[in-house]
Amino acid sequence: MQIRTLLKALWRNRTGPVLIAVQIAITLAVLVNIAYVVSVRIQAYRRPTGIDVHNIFWVQSQGFATDFDQSSALRTDLAYLNGIAGVIAAAATATIPQGGFGGIGMPFATTPEGVRAPKMGGAVQLMTNRGLEALGVKLIAGRAPHSDAVSPAPDMMGAIAQWAPEVAMTALLAHKLFPKGDALGKTLYTGLINKPAKIVGIVERMQTAPITGPFADYAERVVFVPGLPPGPSTFYLVRTQPGRRDEVMAQVERSFADKVPGRYIGHMETLDQSASNMRIGLRSSSIILGAVAILVLAVTAIGIFGLAAFNVATRTRQIGTRRAVGARKRHILHYFLIENWLITTAGVVVGCILALALGAKLSVMFQLQRLPLYYLAFGVVALWLLGLGATLVPARKASSVAPAIATRTV
Amino acid sequence: MLLHDLKLALRNLRRTPALTALTAGAIACGIAATMVTVTLYHARAGHPIWWKEGQLFAVTLDTRGPEQGGPQGPHPEYPPFLVTYRDAKALYRSDIPTRAVMMYRSARVVEPTRAGLKPFNALVRVTTADFFSMFDVPFLYGSGWTRAADEGPDPVIVIGRFLNNKLFGGANSVGKLVSLNGHEFRVVGVIDNWMPQPRFYDLSTGAFDVPEYLYMPFGWTTALKLDVAGNVNCVTPQAKVGSFNDLLTQDCVWLQYWVEMPTLAQREKFQAFVDNYVRDQKQYGRFVRPLNNRIVNVNTWLAMNDVIGDESRLQVGLAALFLAVCILNTLGLMLAKFLSGAPIIGLRRALGASRRDIMRQHLTEVVVVGVLGGLGGIVLSWLGLWAIRVLTYVPALDDDPAHLAIAQALSHMDATMLFVAVLVSLLTGIVAGLYPAWRIGRMQPALFLKSQ
Repeated sequence: MQIRTLLKALWRNRTGPVLIAVQIAITLAVLVNIAYVVSVRIQAYRRPTGIDVHNIFWVQSQGFATDFDQSSALRTDLAYLNGIAGVIAAAATATIPQGGFGGIGMPFATTPEGVRAPKMGGAVQLMTNRGLEALGVKLIAGRAPHSDAVSPAPDMMGAIAQWAPEVAMTALLAHKLFPKGDALGKTLYTGLINKPAKIVGIVERMQTAPITGPFADYAERVVFVPGLPPGPSTFYLVRTQPGRRDEVMAQVERSFADKVPGRYIGHMETLDQSASNMRIGLRSSSIILGAVAILVLAVTAIGIFGLAAFNVATRTRQIGTRRAVGARKRHILHYFLIENWLITTAGVVVGCILALALGAKLSVMFQLQRLPLYYLAFGVVALWLLGLGATLVPARKASSVAPAIATRTV
Repeated sequence: MLLHDLKLALRNLRRTPALTALTAGAIACGIAATMVTVTLYHARAGHPIWWKEGQLFAVTLDTRGPEQGGPQGPHPEYPPFLVTYRDAKALYRSDIPTRAVMMYRSARVVEPTRAGLKPFNALVRVTTADFFSMFDVPFLYGSGWTRAADEGPDPVIVIGRFLNNKLFGGANSVGKLVSLNGHEFRVVGVIDNWMPQPRFYDLSTGAFDVPEYLYMPFGWTTALKLDVAGNVNCVTPQAKVGSFNDLLTQDCVWLQYWVEMPTLAQREKFQAFVDNYVRDQKQYGRFVRPLNNRIVNVNTWLAMNDVIGDESRLQVGLAALFLAVCILNTLGLMLAKFLSGAPIIGLRRALGASRRDIMRQHLTEVVVVGVLGGLGGIVLSWLGLWAIRVLTYVPALDDDPAHLAIAQALSHMDATMLFVAVLVSLLTGIVAGLYPAWRIGRMQPALFLKSQ
């Protein structure tokens, strides 16, 4: 219908529309990429840990006496912690899986020769015998590995070098090492210490740390090694029945330190808290990016609204004239909505190119996959709606201009 | 003249309060977003010891075996950032650098004698004597130790101010004894407030970590079999670990190595020395990769470790785009506003106002909006930084005020940033105002007078 006249009118006063179109283009590029980056972060944030995080707390026993005996301390503490009413299982561990302190990495292979140039790295979860129960991870095949070791090594290196004759691993690592799916019963060879171990159990999944960055999938390739962590600083993981964590924690805080002489409680924390602390960076950066996205949308909406309002104000007489010569209210309304839609669309087309360029840059920076196109589609629809919404009020005002205006001098 | 322009601008702005508020608000948002992200970036990009740039160098050797299992970092060409014990000992024999430091982090249990204090775990920097003079560490009492004390090793320690407050109530504790895991050490120095951020000399446990409160002569490493409380990375497939002794002999990297070399001659000589050492070691089957020994200054070192991080860069980039949107927005709204006032301008021109008068007056109006937005932006950025501080606050593992201090240092706006904020808002106003003012100044007055 009036598209040609509309374009002609747009062309005569092109500065404002061009400015808005450029604004819309940048907005689309920013919006779409922020949405993608944040959604990737949320996925990382929510990624299942495989651990019964809500019902676990940890306590650090810190020995200081020169005659502190780690071996008897482990025995006493494990007997005490496992004997508390409401505790499902407690175990001593070399690292806290969601504690954010990182872990112990080792190279693994499936043949004795393979350890010379091992291609597969993984995290080691060194824990005392009831470790899998204390973590609450799900065993999907085989059984939990067991160790008969009684005397702990003097340091962490020694503790790892003790390496039990049987281990369990996550299904992810099992699949990477034995793609045929026959890991159970096979032998795992470990570099650096050059020791073999029989794989007796497969665990559905477990996530240690770190949870982002190039080492993130490393953190889910876990080998569970039964063994004794070295002293004099030891972490105990305690898993309780649902709802009884805080009560057990209070009890441990009161009486744990005195069970063994020459030590004190270094720190105590729920695993919920540790896991949340570890994700603080993900959370705050997502909030910053989200805030920028919302603000940029708001500012663009103001811009579109402003331009439309200006157009309506300067054309009041022309609108009156059109109404006087027979245009209906809805014609006027449509005119302004279509005009805005054309501007938005021009901006969106340029914006798509900008968004893809920015997305390509980000995917290199953060090792992300390419920006999925449906994000772009959502962004385009969102901006169309934003444009329509912001124009609606001025356009309604335009359509209510009385035909009589045309006959008046301003 | 200027005053008159200002008066006119204010009157004009007051005539359309909603539009003024929207425009200034948009600018405020843009400036706040930019300021918040740039402040975070600025804090990360700081040079903690700029007065010694070009004199301090981190030493890295490519100890890696032919193939490395596991994931590769984004820069596989960099040698490991830490060195092995035997290489550190070998480099330490060179007298080319003015000062040299090999060090790492360990942990000990402090048993206080003061009543009411329980034993506690403390991180210890085990280092050679030059540490304090090399990094210009300020002393409250006493001083560091001598190279002879490293050899002894002498039972001496340097403690930080926080620990001195905790153990001795802040008094001069030089000469006092501190018991660490049952061994008595004599305090020889107390470090004053000192918090280089980023903690450039050891980035392996996080770039914004706190300096340790305990420093112990390097010789205690073997005497006490001190465990490493940091990264240990065994970089060749032949490396075999099982005991503390393996830590000393195998190709596992865990030490930081720094040298101070003020002259170019020293640098060239030392690079040659290191390269020769590595060539010599090749005959024992070590250092199988091509020569790749990097001796880098602090700036390069921070860049290699990517202390700033892509996250900060992304935020600054997006905020800059956002500011661009805000400027375009102001430009568009101001243009529209000026054009709608065109008939009055026409009248003023006809009555004798020059083009320059009109332009100057309109530019003043936009700059006023820009400054209003800038002020709002400064308030908003304070709010934003406060929010970030609250969001990222981790209840520290101990009662150490330094953890909080770092969070604050990272998200606090200093005088420089305030100055930048004002400058950016003025520039925003000028950039956004130039075109509309020019357009309105160029208008033919007759056109509008006629249509009246």
